[in-house]
Amino acid sequence: MYKLIEFIRRIYVVLLFLIIEAIALNYYAHSSYYTQAKILSHANRVTGWAQSGIFSVKHFFTLRRENEMLTSRVAELEGRLAAYREAASAAQTDSLAAAVAADTLGVGLENMSQYRYMTARVVSNSIHRDRNFITLNRGIMHGVMNDMAVITPDGAMVGYVVGCSERYSVVLPLLNTDFRTSGKIAGDDYFGSISWRGSSPYEVEMTELSKYAAIEEGAEVVSSGLSHFFPAGVKIGYVESFELNESQTAYDVTVRLATDMTRLGNVILIENMDFGEVSDLEADVEAGRTDRMEYQP
Amino acid sequence: MFKNISYAGVFVTAVLLQIFLLDNISLGVYFHPLVYSVFIILLPLDTRPVWVVLSSALLGVVMDVMTGTDGLNVIAATAAGFFRPMVIGATCGRTVGPDDALPALYRLTAKNLAWYIGAMVVLHSAIFFFMETLSLRHLPHVLLRLAVSGTAAFVLAWYFVRLFVEKILNK
Repeated sequence: MYKLIEFIRRIYVVLLFLIIEAIALNYYAHSSYYTQAKILSHANRVTGWAQSGIFSVKHFFTLRRENEMLTSRVAELEGRLAAYREAASAAQTDSLAAAVAADTLGVGLENMSQYRYMTARVVSNSIHRDRNFITLNRGIMHGVMNDMAVITPDGAMVGYVVGCSERYSVVLPLLNTDFRTSGKIAGDDYFGSISWRGSSPYEVEMTELSKYAAIEEGAEVVSSGLSHFFPAGVKIGYVESFELNESQTAYDVTVRLATDMTRLGNVILIENMDFGEVSDLEADVEAGRTDRMEYQP
Repeated sequence: MFKNISYAGVFVTAVLLQIFLLDNISLGVYFHPLVYSVFIILLPLDTRPVWVVLSSALLGVVMDVMTGTDGLNVIAATAAGFFRPMVIGATCGRTVGPDDALPALYRLTAKNLAWYIGAMVVLHSAIFFFMETLSLRHLPHVLLRLAVSGTAAFVLAWYFVRLFVEKILNK
């Protein structure tokens, strides 16, 4: 209270001046239509400018929420797009079973998709070790499970989930020497093995790519869809350089990553709902249990 | 006491001079010298700012009532009174001494006095003319009016101040 009185005592001349000016201005503004219109116009301009400034500041603080909403929307649309792509693919191969089943079961095509999408935010990320990991703010209670693929909102590969707690999950990213996946040159069918040597955080290697692959510098490298983690066509990066290996049978390719792993924010998680079934089947075959391969009506 | 009566006399003289003489001279739209601000100029330089603001506002009210300008003179005169300490600081400086006091008006050099009067007249006239127009579209006309009327007001104020300083303050 004392400080307030002291403050007012220090600026009372300014306050007095402003009060007198305000009263005079108000009186003058109402003296004629011209002054009223002019002063109102100027006042509105100042008010508009101030409101615009306040709105900009408020908008800045809502950007994060808007960003999360947009990412969530992207995930939802990715899910729909995947469903329609599958439907188109099914139609091309003369297999309309998915659409018929969806119609018969009375569910939307979206629910028939092999992939389910959800969003998360990166809360921890390392890039300077050989075995780097990323932590996300979504866990089991949000529907995250091991082996879910992780991509950026613009569709570039990040990694896949290797561990989950109730509220958090850990991702094995491209920048981990244990990471392996299958990649190919976009528009070509020859595939190679993607891995990281632990050197640059902006580059990975693609080995064992057939020497017959149509490769050139700058060509886009995408996932082949053979690793079960990632759908086919997820962008990995671009061909930086390539050379034939020692046995002259395949290319060793340096791939510049499409994702800047040093500044990850929001990401999209993709669940391959057939992953368990395919893995079990492959395990059974490897173990010699082939009875499951027989058709059970 | 004598000085208080003198300042009251300046107040009345400045208002009457403005209303009955200068406002009735028709030498074109660009000639409108506002000399009544000489009262604000002549107030002792060490007058407390609050009294300068209140005196200026009173002067503006009287001028508005007499001329029917509905607040325009209060706006210009109060602003001139409020900014007067800054104008004094910029044009008159301070005496060199232990008390670091403001000089009395009659101790100012002619050059400093001219700067002080000129700055106050231009400040007061500029606020008055811009508030009267309320638009930047007529800026050249306002500036021309400010130049013509400001020059005339400065000359009149100069003689008024010199007369007051020599006949009243130096007594």
